[in-house]
Amino acid sequence: MPSNSAAELASASQDGSAAPAAGDRQTPGVKRKPLAAPGRQDRRVPKLSGSGLLLPLLAGVLFLALWELQVFHKLFDLKKYQLPLPSAIAEAMRDNFSLLLSYTGYTLTEAVLGMLAGSACGFLVALCATAWPRWGGGSLTLVAALNAVPIVALAPIMNLWFGDGIGSRVAIVTATTMAAMAINAYKGMAAVDPLALDLMHSYAASKRAVFRYLRIQNSLPYVFTALKINATASMIGAIVGEFFFSSRGLGYLLSNSIKVAKMPLGWSCIVLAAIAGVIFYLAVERLEKLFIKWHPSERA
Amino acid sequence: MKAENVFARSRLLPLFVWIFGLLLVWEGASWLLLHVLETPLAQSKLPYVHEVVATLWKYGGTLIKEGAATFGNAGVGFLIGAVSGVALAVLMSLSRIIERLAFPYAIASQMIPILGLAPIIYGIVRDEQISRIIIAGYITFFPVSLNMLRGLRSVEPSALELMHSYAAKPWAVYWKLRFPAALPGLFSGLKIAAPLAVTGAILVELMGAQHGIGVIMLRNLYYGPSHTYMFWSTVIVGALLGIASYGLMSLAERLAAPWQPEFRPKGGSR
Repeated sequence: MPSNSAAELASASQDGSAAPAAGDRQTPGVKRKPLAAPGRQDRRVPKLSGSGLLLPLLAGVLFLALWELQVFHKLFDLKKYQLPLPSAIAEAMRDNFSLLLSYTGYTLTEAVLGMLAGSACGFLVALCATAWPRWGGGSLTLVAALNAVPIVALAPIMNLWFGDGIGSRVAIVTATTMAAMAINAYKGMAAVDPLALDLMHSYAASKRAVFRYLRIQNSLPYVFTALKINATASMIGAIVGEFFFSSRGLGYLLSNSIKVAKMPLGWSCIVLAAIAGVIFYLAVERLEKLFIKWHPSERA
Repeated sequence: MKAENVFARSRLLPLFVWIFGLLLVWEGASWLLLHVLETPLAQSKLPYVHEVVATLWKYGGTLIKEGAATFGNAGVGFLIGAVSGVALAVLMSLSRIIERLAFPYAIASQMIPILGLAPIIYGIVRDEQISRIIIAGYITFFPVSLNMLRGLRSVEPSALELMHSYAAKPWAVYWKLRFPAALPGLFSGLKIAAPLAVTGAILVELMGAQHGIGVIMLRNLYYGPSHTYMFWSTVIVGALLGIASYGLMSLAERLAAPWQPEFRPKGGSR
């Protein structure tokens, strides 16, 4: 009995997600939650129990207090206009609340649209790579290479192609979110249980039926892992895209505030971007819970 | 149906065909834009491949010099970030308290657009070298520490029991068991972080530095259509830097942890 089930082998993927815990002996066919894709821990948000959250919260409050009391300024010899105090940032947020809110919505729209487009493209690439392994594999490598291209290099080109509007940022986000989805979905489709595949063959199932009833189903947990990665990546893509050729959005406001030395406003953009990123991420996580209820990893 | 390894020999031919085909399509589309559709700024939108290659050749020295400035800073930051990430992971695996303290923040930082901090850091430090290093290090830090921690935890229980039955010292358990087990995780973290570190360094340069590939990229962009080939060359160099950083990490992984399934000639039954 081989201890490595297909799911385990899948998690040791070519893009280098962590090798599975070899100690996890399990019968083939009992699938485990796929290891999160590279760079992601198996992140179930830590339980919101008192003890688990108290310590980090205290640390955070302490950190903010030290910041407010200008300890960091003394340590690193900073001026207040370089590193504004939390109270100043909060004030800037209050004063520009409606503007910040509308810009956050704008940036989030770009991120969501781009992520949907990019994830769809990535999924298609994965489908092709699985259906025609010999010729599709190359496309997977190309997409992975696209992932290593700095967003910053893409931004001006997309700006030339799609103008200054929302389109160019959506295109940037699309390009940056494709790879994670393609690689993860491919892993999920390739890592089907061999027994199930044999069963399909014995029923003389067509390629299409194998995809429909087996591979797509099997790739869902992986797809959601990719979506979670992309939630963060798309926010970054949208914000970085706005740094350069934009007249709206959080990224524009951030880089602009810094140019005119309005540091507190710049920092409040960061705070909002962080909040929006977390909300987006948690929304994807909720969707995941809804969609793959049947998956063992979702059972209590 | 066997999904072979992407890097196996049989895969190389299709890959080359892909790359070559893409270049052909690019060249064709460029010609189409310029002569058939007569789009404004056609060459800026999609320049001729051969012109870009010629420019790359002609200004190779400059591009290499500036690229090296970017890559060097990104590399230093990357190393600092990686080392501190590994250190934090070891601390987290040793002490529950440190883990409880740091882990939620590590997770939260994964959800936050870190690159957005680049202009802020540059605003505080006002020194391109240092801020490039800080950003690259900061971006590297969390993916590496999280993946490393997962790797350190992925030890087989039976192997641990064996070490205990030999009465192995804690440092021996770490050195002989946990670190080797953590290598794949560590490298997956490094592979994600490497292109990001390059991206971060270039981003800082665009905020108004003096040297680096990002600076000439921006400069040539502002000159407009007359410098379009040079601009595209800088974009390609930037892309190559990102890909090279990823490739370097993959190579290091092959040397340091060659026992992983994906390096096996047949690639297992993935």
